[in-house]
Amino acid sequence: MALTAARSGSTYLQRERALKPDVILVLSFLLLAAISIVMVYTASAPRARSLGEPESAEAIKQAVFAVVGVVAFIVASVIEPRTIRLSAPSVYLASLVTLVVVQFTRVHDGAQRWIDLGPVQFQPSEAAKLAVILALAALLASETGKVLSPTRIAQALALVAIPAVLIFMQPDLGTMLVFGFFTVVMLFVAGTTGRQLGFLMFAAVGGVVVMVQTNLLQAYQVRRLTAFLDEAGSSLDAVYNQQQSEIAIGAGGLFGTGLLNGAQTNLNFVPVQASDFIFTAIGEQLGFIGASLILALYALIIWRILMIALVARSQFSQLVAVGFAAMLMFHVFVNVGMTVKVMPVTGLPLPWMSAGGTAFVVMSTGLGIVHGIWMRRSPVPGERSIL
Amino acid sequence: MRPGLRLAGLGIFFAALFGILLVRLWTIQVTLADEYVAQAQSLQIRVVSTPAPRGEIRDTNGRLLAGSRSALALVIDGALIDPETEAELVQRLAALSDLSASEVQRRIDQARNLSDRVTLIDDLSDADALFVVEHSEEFGGLYVEPQPVRVYPMGELVSSVVGYIGRPNADDLEDPLIRSTDVLGKAGTERYYDVDLRGTPGFIKYRVDAQRNVIDVLGEQPPKPGNTMILNIDTDLQQVVFDSLQQGLELSREVSVSGAGCAPSHADEQCPVRATAVVLDVTDGAVKAMASYPTFDSSIFVEGVSEEEWDRLTTLRAFSNYAVQGVYAPASTFKSVAYVTALEGGYFPEGQTAQSRYVCKGTLDFRFNDGSPQVFRDWKPQGHGPVNLGEAFQQSCDIYFWEIALTLWRDGAQDADARNELQRWAREFGFDAVTGIDLPFEAPGLIPDEAWFKRVQEETPGRVREGPWTGGDLMNTVIGQGSTLSTPLQLANAYAAMVNGGTLWKPRVLDQMVDSDGVTVLDNSRSVIRNVDISPQTVQSLLQDMQLVVNGKSGTARGAFANFGDNKNDVGGKTGTAEVIKGKNAVDTALFVGVTPVSNPKYIVVVVIERGGSGGRIAAPTGRRILQFIVNGDDGVTPVRPGDDLD
Repeated sequence: MALTAARSGSTYLQRERALKPDVILVLSFLLLAAISIVMVYTASAPRARSLGEPESAEAIKQAVFAVVGVVAFIVASVIEPRTIRLSAPSVYLASLVTLVVVQFTRVHDGAQRWIDLGPVQFQPSEAAKLAVILALAALLASETGKVLSPTRIAQALALVAIPAVLIFMQPDLGTMLVFGFFTVVMLFVAGTTGRQLGFLMFAAVGGVVVMVQTNLLQAYQVRRLTAFLDEAGSSLDAVYNQQQSEIAIGAGGLFGTGLLNGAQTNLNFVPVQASDFIFTAIGEQLGFIGASLILALYALIIWRILMIALVARSQFSQLVAVGFAAMLMFHVFVNVGMTVKVMPVTGLPLPWMSAGGTAFVVMSTGLGIVHGIWMRRSPVPGERSIL
Repeated sequence: MRPGLRLAGLGIFFAALFGILLVRLWTIQVTLADEYVAQAQSLQIRVVSTPAPRGEIRDTNGRLLAGSRSALALVIDGALIDPETEAELVQRLAALSDLSASEVQRRIDQARNLSDRVTLIDDLSDADALFVVEHSEEFGGLYVEPQPVRVYPMGELVSSVVGYIGRPNADDLEDPLIRSTDVLGKAGTERYYDVDLRGTPGFIKYRVDAQRNVIDVLGEQPPKPGNTMILNIDTDLQQVVFDSLQQGLELSREVSVSGAGCAPSHADEQCPVRATAVVLDVTDGAVKAMASYPTFDSSIFVEGVSEEEWDRLTTLRAFSNYAVQGVYAPASTFKSVAYVTALEGGYFPEGQTAQSRYVCKGTLDFRFNDGSPQVFRDWKPQGHGPVNLGEAFQQSCDIYFWEIALTLWRDGAQDADARNELQRWAREFGFDAVTGIDLPFEAPGLIPDEAWFKRVQEETPGRVREGPWTGGDLMNTVIGQGSTLSTPLQLANAYAAMVNGGTLWKPRVLDQMVDSDGVTVLDNSRSVIRNVDISPQTVQSLLQDMQLVVNGKSGTARGAFANFGDNKNDVGGKTGTAEVIKGKNAVDTALFVGVTPVSNPKYIVVVVIERGGSGGRIAAPTGRRILQFIVNGDDGVTPVRPGDDLD
């Protein structure tokens, strides 16, 4: 106690010391990034070899994304939360612009999700997730009272709805659902009443029903979501993919088949194995032990982020942390749940693991911002014990 | 609620989500792991069967009757057909082959259901094979690979015995070892020894990827080729038999009411339709030759045939082997059984002995049980004059044998054994039962008696007349008429037993079975059905009288054998002319049984010509030509000429 009191005497010094990184969060993040390079290699090399393409091309790309992601993490950690809050509206608007632009791009595999930027492709919907979290946090944090006013909630919903609709038009149902999830979580933490939340849930369910009834959802989207519930429609690709994935993970057993020995993965039974179904490669090759260790890394990061939310100096920072934690949780649960058949097939990537640049960098940036909040936290009594 | 509490709630919620994932992972990766491993393996391993080459069929001299040649086949791999381009593929394949689009589609579905390879085109021309190989990307899922194609170098010559092959029918598929894509023996040796000819298919176990592309070979078991069948058939003799039957049939048509150019059909019931022959080795039951004409070429079941030709063959029933499947009234050839019965049991015309002469007047007056007067007429209206048993046999005097029947009938009234004595002897010699020859679809024939007569009256009313079994029925039976039926093979086998001293052999087409390494796996050596207790004197007497049928001045086959050539004295026989009951215009069946050498019997020859007319005129000269070859070789054979128009 004496030591803490002495520290609080010197604000400047305390700040210098507080800039110390959160070791658990940073190590978990770096470990995931490193593992992702290995897993992308194991999931892509055998197929590349059989096609006569360079074996490590995908892995090298992923390594580059990892490096860029780590840099983005560091840079975002350093930026002042206040600066971020101030720039939130412009980031949000810029994000909307990219979402509009993407509507005019070529159609890839039946969807318009990418903007070509020379050698890489940019996925506006990935960036929009972070932009909307920041904007939503800024909006909700400006409320002074402990209970949110219905007007504010309406504003928040409008703020989320605009990009959500644009993303829905791409079409990308999974990403849209992410928006819904973190919005509800952020509203919950920001101080909605139980009644307000209940009403929102009711409205959301009603909205989905209306969408299905008015055929606003594409047939394949409904089918994907319902195929999961209906085993009889097993000829559908979605169910096939999931079944293959489930078999591969199950066949991995307790210890896994070992790296590059995943027969299901190597023999191409599992689709999009380096990106959406990367967890299948993990489950098959590393077994229950490897898979649960990787889940543990995600759990560690999410736990740290929730702790950061607890000690955040401002409500904006707290909401950013909570929103990011929710987004991360949703991605992990939906993606992993999809590979083991507890969730329907959606195109959500596994953060820092699935092959792909935009998601990696955006997630890293988001984590960097949250980490920056940690480094500027307000000290709390007994903080060390929490750590 | 304070933010801290809300965050704690959130933390618990998130922890629960992780918990769900962990429980699920534990379930599939630990609790149910074995199931998933098995599933993964079944997905990754593909077993493809490799057909076993079908065994060969050879004659007694090693000449090839059925074998295989290597041809290029177009094979569908059901697992590799891309459903998206399937419709176009079906069109392309239908254009390439003679098959209809629906048939192509059927085979593709079959291959897919079996997840195996199915042959689409058996015998691809080199040009077509090259085309498919060069355009392989348009024929995804199809392979050109060498496959054996069944060949029958002897064509029609041995097809009645060798049979043919085909796809399994619904019954065949009851056998779990048979798949719809297999080829099975459908008739003849191909059918009887199908299991041995088929061999054991091999397999190749591949590891495959999701697109069913082969990654590597995990194991292989080569197919075990089927066994080779070495038959007792002698192709040289078979050729003579076959030619003789053709000539005999031509001859019978020349002398028929319908004329030389007639073609048998339902419309023309008088046109001679079929000729059948069997040559048996009386010392061991070996089938040296067997033919049923008209016949077919076994190759048509491999290479196909025009619809008209198919219809023609079906109408003629050319696919049946009448030597074992056809039943005929044996007529006067059956008198040998009565002859043996008479000598062994002492049944002669009333008041006669074997040597004493009974005067055959051409008609026989007697009264039925109910007292009604009856007149039976011999085939020779003026009668044969005074004849003893041997002379009655040589001249085929019906009345003498009817008298024997009447004696049996009279004795039968007191003596139960005598009542069925004729039938007992017939059955001893193998009539009224299948011989058990190694060919499919053998008919049992029929020897009627009182018990049979009553049974038929009860079971199938209308098939025989009302009232009791009478002496008249026995009189019909004694001359091989009435309901008496025999296959040409039964007739040959019965004679074989009579002339060899009483050994009834099981007739054998197969001599031995040899596996692909040349090792004999089955020696189908001779086997006895039963030993018939017949005295050597009876045998000698019968042989002598058979010799006189051919050589005696009143023998019914004398004319047919007039220009036999050398060694005629060593040849014997018996003619028969079977009345066919159905139809006004029905033409008699001509029969002849020959034996040689008389001094030490070795061969029995049976010739049956349906609608041929007189046995002495048509069947005997046909049999004569076959015997000429057996006795005097190739040079001794002369064309079939009409014999005497005798029974």
